[in-house]
Amino acid sequence: MSASDDAPSDDTRDDLALVATGIAKVYGATCALRSARLALRRGRVHALLGENGAGKSTLVKILVGAVTPDAGHIALAGAPVAFGSVTQAIRAGIVPIYQHLSLFPELSIHENLSAFALAAGGGLWTGRRLVDPARARGWLKEVGLDVDLAAPLGSLSLGERQLVEVARALSLDCRVLVLDEPTAALNADEADRLFAVVRRLCASGTAALFISHRFDEIEALADEVTVLRDGRTVIDAAPIGRHSREELTHAMLGAGVEAAPARLSERAAPVLVGRGLAAGRHGRGSLDVIVHAGEIVGLAGLIGSGALSLAATLGGAQAGPGELSVGDASFMPGDRRRAAALGIAYVPADRHAEGLFGALSARRNASVSGLGRLARLGWLRARAEAQMVDPLLRRLKLHPALPEAEAATFSGGNQQKLLIARGLAVPGLKAMVLLEPTRGVDVAARGVIHDAIREAAASGVAVLVATSDLDELMVLAHRYLVVREGTLAAELPRSAPRAALLAALSGSAAA
Amino acid sequence: MTPRAEGRARFLVAPAAILLAAGLFGVASPGFLSLDNGLSMAGQIWILALLAVGQMFAIAARGFDISVGAVAALSGTLGAMAANAIGLPGLLLAVPVGLACGTVNGWLIGRARFQPIVATLGTLLAVKGLALLVSDDGQVVPLEAAARAAALSFDAVAGLPPLGWAALAAVGLAHVVLRHMLVGRRILMLGSNPEAVALVGAVPWRIEMSAYQLCGAFAGLAGALMTARAGAGLPTEGAGMELQSIAAAVIGGTVLAGGRANVWAVLAGATFVQVVLTGLNLSGVSPFIAQIAVGAVILASGLMDAGLRTLLTRFSRLSPPKGTFR
Amino acid sequence: MMAKRLPGTSRPLRLSRPPAVALVCLGLFLLCCAFVPRFATFGNIENVLRVASILCVVACGQAVVILLGGIEFSFGASAALASVVTVMALPVLGPVGGLATGGASVIAIGAVNGFLVGRLALPPVIVTLGTLMMASGAAAWLVGGLPIDAPPSAAFSWPARGRVLGVPVPILAALLACAALHLMLAHGRIGRLWYHVGANPVAARLAGLDVTRITTLGYAVAGAFCAVGAIILTSRVASGQPALAPNLPFETIAACAIGGLPLSGGRGRVSQVVFGVLTVAMLNNAVVLINLPVAWQLVLLGLAVLAAVGLQKDWAVLARLARRTDR
Repeated sequence: MSASDDAPSDDTRDDLALVATGIAKVYGATCALRSARLALRRGRVHALLGENGAGKSTLVKILVGAVTPDAGHIALAGAPVAFGSVTQAIRAGIVPIYQHLSLFPELSIHENLSAFALAAGGGLWTGRRLVDPARARGWLKEVGLDVDLAAPLGSLSLGERQLVEVARALSLDCRVLVLDEPTAALNADEADRLFAVVRRLCASGTAALFISHRFDEIEALADEVTVLRDGRTVIDAAPIGRHSREELTHAMLGAGVEAAPARLSERAAPVLVGRGLAAGRHGRGSLDVIVHAGEIVGLAGLIGSGALSLAATLGGAQAGPGELSVGDASFMPGDRRRAAALGIAYVPADRHAEGLFGALSARRNASVSGLGRLARLGWLRARAEAQMVDPLLRRLKLHPALPEAEAATFSGGNQQKLLIARGLAVPGLKAMVLLEPTRGVDVAARGVIHDAIREAAASGVAVLVATSDLDELMVLAHRYLVVREGTLAAELPRSAPRAALLAALSGSAAA
Repeated sequence: MTPRAEGRARFLVAPAAILLAAGLFGVASPGFLSLDNGLSMAGQIWILALLAVGQMFAIAARGFDISVGAVAALSGTLGAMAANAIGLPGLLLAVPVGLACGTVNGWLIGRARFQPIVATLGTLLAVKGLALLVSDDGQVVPLEAAARAAALSFDAVAGLPPLGWAALAAVGLAHVVLRHMLVGRRILMLGSNPEAVALVGAVPWRIEMSAYQLCGAFAGLAGALMTARAGAGLPTEGAGMELQSIAAAVIGGTVLAGGRANVWAVLAGATFVQVVLTGLNLSGVSPFIAQIAVGAVILASGLMDAGLRTLLTRFSRLSPPKGTFR
Repeated sequence: MMAKRLPGTSRPLRLSRPPAVALVCLGLFLLCCAFVPRFATFGNIENVLRVASILCVVACGQAVVILLGGIEFSFGASAALASVVTVMALPVLGPVGGLATGGASVIAIGAVNGFLVGRLALPPVIVTLGTLMMASGAAAWLVGGLPIDAPPSAAFSWPARGRVLGVPVPILAALLACAALHLMLAHGRIGRLWYHVGANPVAARLAGLDVTRITTLGYAVAGAFCAVGAIILTSRVASGQPALAPNLPFETIAACAIGGLPLSGGRGRVSQVVFGVLTVAMLNNAVVLINLPVAWQLVLLGLAVLAAVGLQKDWAVLARLARRTDR
């Protein structure tokens, strides 16, 4: 299957609401978008699919005016447009709905519904900028919300807030509605309400762009689908139902390398054991996870499934129900200090916010968890530090090989190597918990990191890798645990074919 | 506690604290609850109240201004000079002087992206020095119309001295600005969700600047009041005022993380600080002990803010704690 | 040494590169020598160093707090409290005991600040402003608002006026303080932990560090530096002064900011603090020597802070460019 299978639609058709062609965007050394194409039709819901790093979020940012493309054209109802700001895009009728980014929790619902009018332009008084309460109530009714206009937005649930955001879109002359993973925080009932509103809007001629990882929702709501991979459109505006879930997932992830994972010699002793854990904040505390010595367990889950949350709990980084133990010693979820002291390394998913000490040198970044071992009477032995960390940095091929350079000056892939090295340098390492260990990392660094993880496992460390990257899972893991909607949906052996994994991930009947 | 109830409870802390403190001091010193004392305190609270209301704008925009005390001293001194030159209304020059200082703070913080603490520390030092320079190294500037100024500051008309009424009007104006004017609403929007402000089409730095401008203007007005009450421009006054104003604003329910404020509650916060000071004074406690009490009140305000914040995150789904996933 | 350099390293990094503020400081020194009358005399230079030394000791403490991403306003008030406590304790405990008691009270205030910031996660500004009020209230209350004189005693005046091998004790204390801070920051475990917590507290927690304890300890150590400064100040004024050094926190913060320590934490070296302190001390001295009103000290200090922080961004850009051309 390739782009050529789908006849490119005729860009001059008059029911096209928005057409973006040849969109490219380069950030520094990384090419986020190479040549993306997207055509939305009036009155249709269009799903946009793509894995992390496929360029989806960049494309959305370009459409809503938050980012300027390096190349390509955008036409709105046949007329070429170029947006310098989000406000311009909104004035032109492209209304984005973010997860809960653009609402004001401390302000009233009425004020939130009037936010665009309140924010822009001169004038003195708020009174005339607030939308007519009757109309505001009408919009809220349309999205199925029965709430007091004067109540603060913060008193609503996340799902209800999302609906407020949709209600606010109704106040604008909306030609293209952009829904960026709107259901991530919603329960089923709230999602249904949202879909009903979107369908009603589309019935009156609005085009909707719907970004989601949940196939159920896409099948329920979308009329057409576009798939991005590596910054290119690989499926262009295909009617929903033409491709099966497996075909779509395959298009998202590419052919992939079905390399056999390292061989696990024998069933070893359990090392990292979690009982009664929860995946995601709304999950129930009922999940058990056991990782054995020398084993790499792949925790798979699409975004929003709770897989990352479960992994963070196992690493001791996130509080929640249940209990954890490593060897004979037990610790509470959230007690990261004890977890580290017991020899559990943790590599967080958000490198910059939770992992890197940008102001400190590469060596210091790598040695932080092993400082206790380097100190004699409170004195750090510099040579011991270098002896502990530098071989790791060498093995991970840190480039440039300057352990004394500031971490912030390295590329993303090399910063990630520092976090891996930090994990490997944990004294008495018994288990490693890695979240998205190669997100946004170049191919070479990725290979190096994978090798390091395999080596660690081969030396008897219990490894848990949580990732939304299927290729990574298949080259690393001895065993797969699939998390879907906060539950452990399946456990598959390493021999499981890709299709079975895809089915388990997407929750299709084939599973 | 639901977030909504929490939102209201926050603004009730200061009035409740006033009642409690007044009750305690009433028992400790019988004179405290007399009408005379009430009226006398009603005349005293306004300098702190104006500073706290100004501070409220800065805090609501997720910052704070530690230069307000120095700004009040400088603008009060310049106001006294202007009053001596062109008559008592010249005292009002204090307001544009305060506004100018606030504009500098606002530009540094909003446009040049200084941290509020650095920017206002820099202006605090510079303004303090300027106040000394214009006044010949800290000499007080006696007001020629001191008698009239004193009459305006101390002789009650219908319960409050005329300048008290003027300050009350200014506080009322602050309420109008916060609740009914675009400037105030945008400051609350910025404090509530800084990332979203640009997404809905506002210009964040202008909003931030306006918050510090309001803060500076109110500090200027407080300086004018200070001069009128003292009958002289006091270039070295105002140290410690910035602390009291932050405490009053926070006790008045202003969220340190921004986005939520109520002018009347801040007025109550300022009143509470004054009640504590006066009450301790009437109870025969040394004024220095009262200073310790104000320090304790500042720490308590921080604890209150942190406590309510913890409740908020624990019992609502507003924002997840740091280092976790949504 | 193989362990220190990875293959591919072109040459060892010049870690001891002088901070940018050193140039500013040197320039100011030359300007003062050329244009300020009586500046370049031995007596005046020693005087500048003497003033700078107290500032330097306390600025070392301020630097620890700033490294942690915090700020400390209570130094002046706690120094005042220390002076009062010292003089009151003199008749009972003697000069050494009195000074020790005064110093201990400063450390205690630092530890309280650290606990409130580290354990209860209160904003450092609010906490240290609160303890500032309480300490200065307590200092004034203890002596009824008026300074009390200390009985003259050689031991008591030694910290301010004594000499060891011809070097004035305050200058020696400043050297020792700088050396101690340098050892802690460059070679000590605790200093390293301060850098980590200041650079990224969330990452520090996830790396398994005890952020609460590290922060508390940092504020207490900062208090210890301030305690040394307070002892010298008390000895110099030979009395218990409830309004001893109200500008001390401002001057130390200014020195650190001028030295180039970002107030966001995680970065900074002792040399930056030293040059920042020298710049502040020379500015103050020059204002006096040129016969400008003393108020100019404050104005210049404020402007210097704003200029230094404003330039910091540009310096960072320059430094990055320089690194890039190094490769």
